[in-house]
Amino acid sequence: MTIPVLEAEFSLQAEEFALQVNLRLESGVLVLFGPSGSGKTLTLQALAGLRRPGSGHIRLFGQALLDVEARIEVPSHRRRIGYVPQHDSLFPFTDVQHNVRFGLTRARRRSERDSVPDLMERLGIAHLARSRPGSLSGGERRRVALARALAVQPRLLLLDEPFAGIDRPGRERLRAVLMEMLRERRVPTVVVTHDREEALQMGDRLVPYTRGATGQAREPGEVLASEAAHDMEGV
Amino acid sequence: MPTPDLFPVRLSLEVAGLALALVLPVGVVLAWLQAHRRLAFRTAVDALILLPLVLPPSVVGYLLVIVLGREGPLGRALEALFDLRLIFTPAAAVLAAAIVALPLLVKTVQPAIEAVPAELEDVGRTLGLSPLFLFLRVTLPSSWRGMLAGVVLAFARALGEFGATLMFAGDIPKRTETMPLAIYAAYQVGNDRAAMFYVAVLVALSLLVVLLAARLSPRGLRT
Repeated sequence: MTIPVLEAEFSLQAEEFALQVNLRLESGVLVLFGPSGSGKTLTLQALAGLRRPGSGHIRLFGQALLDVEARIEVPSHRRRIGYVPQHDSLFPFTDVQHNVRFGLTRARRRSERDSVPDLMERLGIAHLARSRPGSLSGGERRRVALARALAVQPRLLLLDEPFAGIDRPGRERLRAVLMEMLRERRVPTVVVTHDREEALQMGDRLVPYTRGATGQAREPGEVLASEAAHDMEGV
Repeated sequence: MPTPDLFPVRLSLEVAGLALALVLPVGVVLAWLQAHRRLAFRTAVDALILLPLVLPPSVVGYLLVIVLGREGPLGRALEALFDLRLIFTPAAAVLAAAIVALPLLVKTVQPAIEAVPAELEDVGRTLGLSPLFLFLRVTLPSSWRGMLAGVVLAFARALGEFGATLMFAGDIPKRTETMPLAIYAAYQVGNDRAAMFYVAVLVALSLLVVLLAARLSPRGLRT
């Protein structure tokens, strides 16, 4: 049996509710789907090590990142998990190029196999290398944030509403590029979205969220079809 | 007519500079801990930090004498162990200035650190920055204006320290007589010329500091 990329089972006490999470990712893209306020972002933060669950465990490629009972907690900066929060958080005090290289060590920055120029080219931000984040459009900012997270070659990538606030044509273009890059680089990814189409297009598996709890993981089409049927009944 | 003695000017700048060097690391660490709510007894620590700002400087000076004076427990220990006597030395002036400058530094730097968006620090962590590098590469570049404003205000407060310095360091000409003390001494003997000179230097320096702090501070101090 192969080791799954990600196994997570934990509970976390948030301000408004207790979050109960049970996730498993074999490969590819896992979509966390549900209305806002159902705990999807909190889940990403816990996976990244930015929030501390009260109980449970998180394993990445079989390695325990968190095991509350065994008192194991790998700090965020040692997890090598890329995180792109919903509100782009580019470092405003430096240019695009330095933002993208922010997580690279000095040795990596000097190495011959520097993948950053290629990365920036692919994401269509090469011409912005010397621009300040403040002068970019929403879509451009998102691309920089994605490049920055990918540059460190994360073992797992966490994306929170990656296309929110981008117009439809731009969204579709960016999604196509991103999906291609994730496949090429074989970066397992967890995506948070409340957009049906996005969930359908991106996800290999989908976990529905209702207020503070995860449901059964299934094929995205299956979940959304049953939801649609449910919605119809409600009309 | 004799020119005014420049020793108090030099001593004042040295004392304030050293006090700042002493208080800067402590103050920034305290501000960071308070901003990230990392301390148990947070409110109590906050009150303790603020105390020198609220207390009359003579009280601070008196407490210093009680604790660090020749008969004080810490003063005795220092003298017994290291043959070190603080009271009535320039070092005492530095310590007095540092203690009254600390609250101003912490209370200016803390909101600057709190204003750094949590998401910036979150991203920094996931990019592999350890807490120290996170501070140096994300927190500091995002909040340096506020921090510098705190530094400038703390320096100004240290420069103007009078009461605690008088009690703990004494007014010894050519040894512990900083500008504020020199003004009082000159005034008492009717040396208006010398008093006016130090007053002018202090007013000019303070004006510079206030203007600088207002320029650096994104809000609050700006009118």
